[in-house]
Amino acid sequence: METVSCERLIELASKVVEASPAAETEVIWNASCDRFARFAASGPTQSADRVVPSVLVRVRVEREGGLSEARAAADTLDPAGALGALERALSFAGHGAVSSDLVPMGGEVDVPTRSADDSVLEGGFELMAGWIEGAISRCEESELLPAGLAQLSYGSRAIVNSAGRSVSGSTSRAAFALTASDPAGGGAGFGDAISQTGEDLNVARVLERAVSKGVMNRAPEAIDPGRYTVVLEPNAVSSLLLFASYQGLGAQDVAEEASFLCGRRGERAFSELVSLYDDAFNDFYPGFAFDWEGTPKQRVELVKDGVLGDPVTDRLWAAKLGVMNTGHAYPQPNTYGPKPGNLVLAPGEESAQELISGVKRGLLVTQLHYTNMIDPRDLLLTGMTRNGTFLIEDGEVTRPVKNLRFTESLVNAMASVSGVGKDREVAGALFEGEIVCPALRIEDFRFTSSTDF
Amino acid sequence: MSMDKMELAKEAVRAAEASGADYADARLVKLNVEELSVKNGAPGEADAPEEWGVGVRIRKSGCFGFGARPLVRGSEASLVREAASAAVECARALEGAMRAPTGWAENPDDGASHFETPVGIDPFAVPVSERLELLQDANAAMEGHESIVSRQAHCSLRREEQWQASSEGAALHQLLVRTGAGMEATAAANGQVQRRSHPSSWGNYKSGGWEHVLAMELPANGPRIRDEAVALCSADACPSGERTVVIGASQLALQIHESVGHPNELDRVHGHEVDLAGSSFATPEKLGGFQYGSELVNLVADSTVKGGLDTRGWDDECVPSGRWHVVKDGVFSGYHTSREWAHTIDEERSRGTARAEGWSSPPIIRITNLSLEPGTWDFDNLIADCEDGSIYMDFVKMWSIDQRRLNFQFTCEVAWEIQGGKLGKMLRNPTYQGRTPDFWGSCDAICGPDHWDLWGVSNCGKGNPIQTAEMSHGAAPARFRGLTLLGAD
Repeated sequence: METVSCERLIELASKVVEASPAAETEVIWNASCDRFARFAASGPTQSADRVVPSVLVRVRVEREGGLSEARAAADTLDPAGALGALERALSFAGHGAVSSDLVPMGGEVDVPTRSADDSVLEGGFELMAGWIEGAISRCEESELLPAGLAQLSYGSRAIVNSAGRSVSGSTSRAAFALTASDPAGGGAGFGDAISQTGEDLNVARVLERAVSKGVMNRAPEAIDPGRYTVVLEPNAVSSLLLFASYQGLGAQDVAEEASFLCGRRGERAFSELVSLYDDAFNDFYPGFAFDWEGTPKQRVELVKDGVLGDPVTDRLWAAKLGVMNTGHAYPQPNTYGPKPGNLVLAPGEESAQELISGVKRGLLVTQLHYTNMIDPRDLLLTGMTRNGTFLIEDGEVTRPVKNLRFTESLVNAMASVSGVGKDREVAGALFEGEIVCPALRIEDFRFTSSTDF
Repeated sequence: MSMDKMELAKEAVRAAEASGADYADARLVKLNVEELSVKNGAPGEADAPEEWGVGVRIRKSGCFGFGARPLVRGSEASLVREAASAAVECARALEGAMRAPTGWAENPDDGASHFETPVGIDPFAVPVSERLELLQDANAAMEGHESIVSRQAHCSLRREEQWQASSEGAALHQLLVRTGAGMEATAAANGQVQRRSHPSSWGNYKSGGWEHVLAMELPANGPRIRDEAVALCSADACPSGERTVVIGASQLALQIHESVGHPNELDRVHGHEVDLAGSSFATPEKLGGFQYGSELVNLVADSTVKGGLDTRGWDDECVPSGRWHVVKDGVFSGYHTSREWAHTIDEERSRGTARAEGWSSPPIIRITNLSLEPGTWDFDNLIADCEDGSIYMDFVKMWSIDQRRLNFQFTCEVAWEIQGGKLGKMLRNPTYQGRTPDFWGSCDAICGPDHWDLWGVSNCGKGNPIQTAEMSHGAAPARFRGLTLLGAD
């Protein structure tokens, strides 16, 4: 598999911009090289070796009364395919309505150079086959059923526009996840790891976590729903905080009064133990140094010692509000506005065991599943526990319990944080995205129903 | 049919076989999409993506491999061979970790080779200016109240063309056209943010043409949903406790999707989706005997139904479309299957529900069009038959369900309390919670065919990495006794 260099993408994108007759033109060209293998007890179940490019062409054309904007895309590395996208964008914009909202595209910028190494793809399926063999064997030894994903990927991106902006960068990703389930229908355990290279990936730790929890969770017992002190491991924390990145922490969310920041900015609405920022330059899992308009991403303090700050912006919302553009645009034009994409929760001082030791009676939660939003103003969420929920009694984990449904607002939960872990991980959830976060201890977390397993 | 593209698909299959594949299929997919939206009177999204590439899946020593490449003009033949080679290399590297070979059902040739969605009005022939004018009119129709903070209207056209060949001799061409639109108004007042949509929460999508959009009467419904969004901001919260609830058709469509469709995917049942989406309570020993719902409940899977988003000629394993009961007279009676999994329930042929997102992903079992058969009730008579304090609710606001698809919690956009046999005061954030077989078992009335429609799900996520797929669910309003309501706010 041949990766596509940033220089090549810049060259391809520049030619489309040069060919465009529009008043303003922006070309975003991505190329992703991806190798993954899924597995279960029977062995590898699916695998893919794929190159997935995409080019997005945005144009603004002059019409009577102003500019009309449109975008077209193509999954291609073919210059002719990109010119086809340009034609479609011009056609759409030529028929479209004039927009009074447009802010001129940004010009030349300095973006910190950060390119990933495409050596992440080396080793490929042979490397992943070794991880998978290890996971299946380990589960067989413990009489558990494995299911998981191994993935190595590399992505490059270039953004060029007619105002003189030309930026590029690349990212790499190595990931391995294992769910180890009781074959008799009991509980399961989960472990995962995400890093920038295959060498940095601690697969042995993933196996240990998933299998030890799977063994502990063979025969969970029912427990009544209600309010519990919980210790949420990083994967569970990510399920909650990712929702703040989907809804609430962007300037448009606030302007449309669909944010938990409304009426709370400047207030200590969260526990003073909670500090949350967006930082594409974090050491754990850095992202692209620029947003989808090519603007350099800023580190933004969203919550400082429990005090809620301002939302992130893009060019449009910075201009509308007369504030700084923080560099959090998504592909334009869109209807949802800027969003943070690299959330980092600051670490605390407690070890995992110390977080648990501080609980008289409560629950240790490995993962939350299918979290979704009921109401945006308090960020009222619901979801299920998954893959290892354990009772804590007198500071010790004592026994596995059946899964519970929570219905709780993020604002209440973050206000009730009584402990923050000192160790952080890259953690994701069922829906899109990953964040860097530690475990949290939260008081009076509300569970509203239970399930059969 | 364009034979040169079919020849490319066949060339990919030949290349895979020459590299050592025991079986191979290749899909060339060309996708054209046009999406427009208008927000608060101004242009929102105006997007016209196009995809063109090849995906090759092979089976070698019982292990699957998949390779995918975008197609570049002039290099198509070398790229389809490269994809085939990559697929074989995947399987070659991984086959040593196999514990048991995958199953593989026979797939007799059905004699056909072409399928095309019936289209009334070609949506791509409707001028962009005409589409935008409709969305502008819809947007303007939601103006007129200071509490409205967001007005959006959108439409989407998709044209997907596939050329599919296999080492078993399949050479299939299909052209699938899907069209949809919708609108929503969001109001903010009294500390509340409330949304109302039409015709449902994400609009509605069907296979077919622009005739579906015209039938929605978007502008005519603008003032109604605007006023309902505003009214919700001062409405009482829906109460907690056990109530009789009549659920509207668009909400029931999602209930079918989440609590019947996903647990019915046989790969999921066998633990192959545990790594992300989860497993299923609907295990094979329950087939043919488990009481999934009341005897009124008949749920039919049908990849041939007119207007269904997953109405097609064949799935992505070259298996022809079909129709079968998943629940018959309340009893669990069938699964969504693939060629890999059919044998595990002693079926000789796949039901034809293995699909992939575009050209760049391998096929997995996906829900096809899955519908609740209509009953006999008239809607007004059903409401009149409910006791005081019953609730009518509809339109998806929030959904969540556990990984075995048992415990669910859904919130609708709006509800009305039933008093004196009629819809009374409006209620906000109606939330119900339950357990799948208990829920369907509590169904005691379903409205008739006049109230039944297909509701499209255009963004169903499954797989890891996640793939999206589309399907429809038909439903009419239905009544459920003793449902647990949760005063969620």
